[in-house]
Amino acid sequence: MLLKMFARSLHIHSPCWGAEKSLLATLRKKTGYTFTNCKKALELHQNDLIQAEKWLNQQAQALGWSKATKLEGRQTTQGLVAVTVNNSDAAIVEVNCETDFVARNKTFQEMVEIAAQTCLHFAEQQPHATKPLTKISLDSTQLCRLQTTNGKTLSDQLALTIGSLGENAILRRAMCFKADKGIHLSVYAHPSGTQQNSVLLGRLGGLVAMRQKIDKEVDMENLGKNLCQHVVGMDPKKIGTSDDEPSPNSDDETCLIYQEYIVDDSITVNEVLDENGIEIVDFKRFECGENTSDGVPLSNVETCQ
Amino acid sequence: MAFLFYGKLSNISLLKTFSYLSNTELILNGKRSGILQFAALTNTGKRFYATEKKVYQRTKPHCNVGTIGHVDHGKTTLTAAITKVLSDQKLAEAKKYSDIDNAPEEKARGITINVAHVEYQTSARHYGHTDCPGHADYIKNMITGAAQMDGAILVVAATDGVMPQTREHLLLAKQIGVNHIVVFINKVDAADAEMVELVEMEIRELMSEMGFDGDNVPVISGSALYALDGKEPEVGSKAILKLLDEVDKYIPTPTRELDKPFLLPVEHVYSIPGRGTVVTGRLERGVVKKGADCEFVGYSKTFKSTISGIEMFHQILEEAQAGDQLGALVRGVKRDDVRRGMVMCKPGSVKSNDHVEAQVYILNKEEGGRSKPFTSFIQLQMFCRTWDCSCQVFIPDKEMVMPGEDSKLILKMIRPMVLEQGQRFTLRDGSLTLGTGVVTNVLPQLSEQERQTITEGKKAREKRMATQNTK
Repeated sequence: MLLKMFARSLHIHSPCWGAEKSLLATLRKKTGYTFTNCKKALELHQNDLIQAEKWLNQQAQALGWSKATKLEGRQTTQGLVAVTVNNSDAAIVEVNCETDFVARNKTFQEMVEIAAQTCLHFAEQQPHATKPLTKISLDSTQLCRLQTTNGKTLSDQLALTIGSLGENAILRRAMCFKADKGIHLSVYAHPSGTQQNSVLLGRLGGLVAMRQKIDKEVDMENLGKNLCQHVVGMDPKKIGTSDDEPSPNSDDETCLIYQEYIVDDSITVNEVLDENGIEIVDFKRFECGENTSDGVPLSNVETCQ
Repeated sequence: MAFLFYGKLSNISLLKTFSYLSNTELILNGKRSGILQFAALTNTGKRFYATEKKVYQRTKPHCNVGTIGHVDHGKTTLTAAITKVLSDQKLAEAKKYSDIDNAPEEKARGITINVAHVEYQTSARHYGHTDCPGHADYIKNMITGAAQMDGAILVVAATDGVMPQTREHLLLAKQIGVNHIVVFINKVDAADAEMVELVEMEIRELMSEMGFDGDNVPVISGSALYALDGKEPEVGSKAILKLLDEVDKYIPTPTRELDKPFLLPVEHVYSIPGRGTVVTGRLERGVVKKGADCEFVGYSKTFKSTISGIEMFHQILEEAQAGDQLGALVRGVKRDDVRRGMVMCKPGSVKSNDHVEAQVYILNKEEGGRSKPFTSFIQLQMFCRTWDCSCQVFIPDKEMVMPGEDSKLILKMIRPMVLEQGQRFTLRDGSLTLGTGVVTNVLPQLSEQERQTITEGKKAREKRMATQNTK
């Protein structure tokens, strides 16, 4: 089913092909696989269209893998960050590819969406911890092993995408938030142009977990989104406490609470939080292609608590 | 644009000359060492490098083209093949695949663009050839005007056919204003005739769908690899020549600045006793003759006059051409009527505008820009030609713009100034250069009411929005 979905998305919508349709044209049109592979399929099955198509669909996984192995090692600096949230669970995923053309392509975006939803699903299945917020960080190998809803592993899914796009791609990293009652999770992606179902896609993405300290009517959705946009835009390094000193130059401020609020630069984030009786529990920001290879595995990187 | 290649080449030669000079100097100083002497000797071969360099002959019109297509479909091989085939006719310098592929990052106007530039010529035209790895690089190339592409060659491999992302490649061409595309179906050595035919049908169909003239787009098939290796000229070198022939015919030569209606951005205005008012500046385009009618436009004003005399370096000139720094004596104009920032142009050739859509690249911190993102309604100073003007920025399809990003912006200026499609400008915030951009579209003039909203504060705007929503 999923294969068919992929194939369909590859199709070039056509008004008509004229009366003289060759078998090769029909097969390519129907499946979207490369001409070379379509030709091979027809040759193998004595021009039997149905058999050839069946073979192609069966081979797609293997062909994807062979392509993926061939392209392995090619640099991937572009790509997308996807964020998604479902009540008490949220996930942020980064998938890299070679060119930003592919990052704009629907086939790739669908792949990233599947990756994000798989991570969210994984987070939902994890047992509740006693802590108010559980964070699960996944590296490339762990991500590859995750099962999608159709039973494939994410790496199989990725190989299919590589096979159809002809560009190397990697599942780089992911982070899941699992929150207890009373904690609100918000997500944001920039640029916010593309959205696949409930997954936000962008070059940058952010997750924010916050808690209301006093009973007060607050539009948590909106405030959460704005704070998350702030995290994505201003790139704070830590939340900060009252023990921290504000930086002398407001442009270099890396402490979230002392930063100028992105929605209104006349106030600081702290003032917004105080006004609404909100406390930020944690946040996570991914920038596509950012350098994290400082030798420390992602699961050990400390985030502010 | 030939300048660009020139700049690069001359840099290298200067460096070489310099190293030669420094070596000889050391020897002259008497501090001889075996190694140094050896270095100087090996350099003597390149002794007259600078003088040996060819002089660019401006005998043919210049045109900028670029290649677009999937990473593995052979864009670079094609570029190498073009230079190889043309070098056999002494029309280009053959470049190896590796020479093109490893093009260093260029810094044009302080912006880092990943781009490879190659030059060659056919019997009809001289070409600048651009190849970038990514979408963002082509956009930056367009914004800075490093090499504005007049047309493009779309490369598709016959073995793979149209890729899913070919759609994005064509979208890019649209976005950077490339309307003339010639298609090259590559790798026919690994495909059969039927496949090539089907790929051609597929491309034509996709191009029509994307708003190009798919039925009439020239499609040439061949093998860049064979052309490079000198195998089977029918699909190799001959196909490349056929492609270049189509590029010559299909992609129109851009209008030269010299052939456009004249325009001079006013730099200074002087009053010469006994003679009248003189305006000075560099003639940006066209040719201006003594006695020509002219028009002054800018600062919400427009008025006509006649050029009664032209001077350059205190010498009388009958005719000035684009690029000349000149002073023009204008009849019946008072000194106070004209000010810096206005333009003197052929009557009716330009209009002032105060509402435009632009594609802008926002410098990142390393490039000297801002460290923080900005949102809609920010007030910036816009610098263009000799004028500057305060304007309000509106971001149509994002919520914020991060440094290092390109973005479409709508600019509303507090007063109409001469601004046209394709014009480049800089945006500054106080003493900081925020970004540089190019006008992509001129929007309808602002009404008086709209103009007032530009200068209002955040509070007033929110109040107005609120009342608008309740109505």
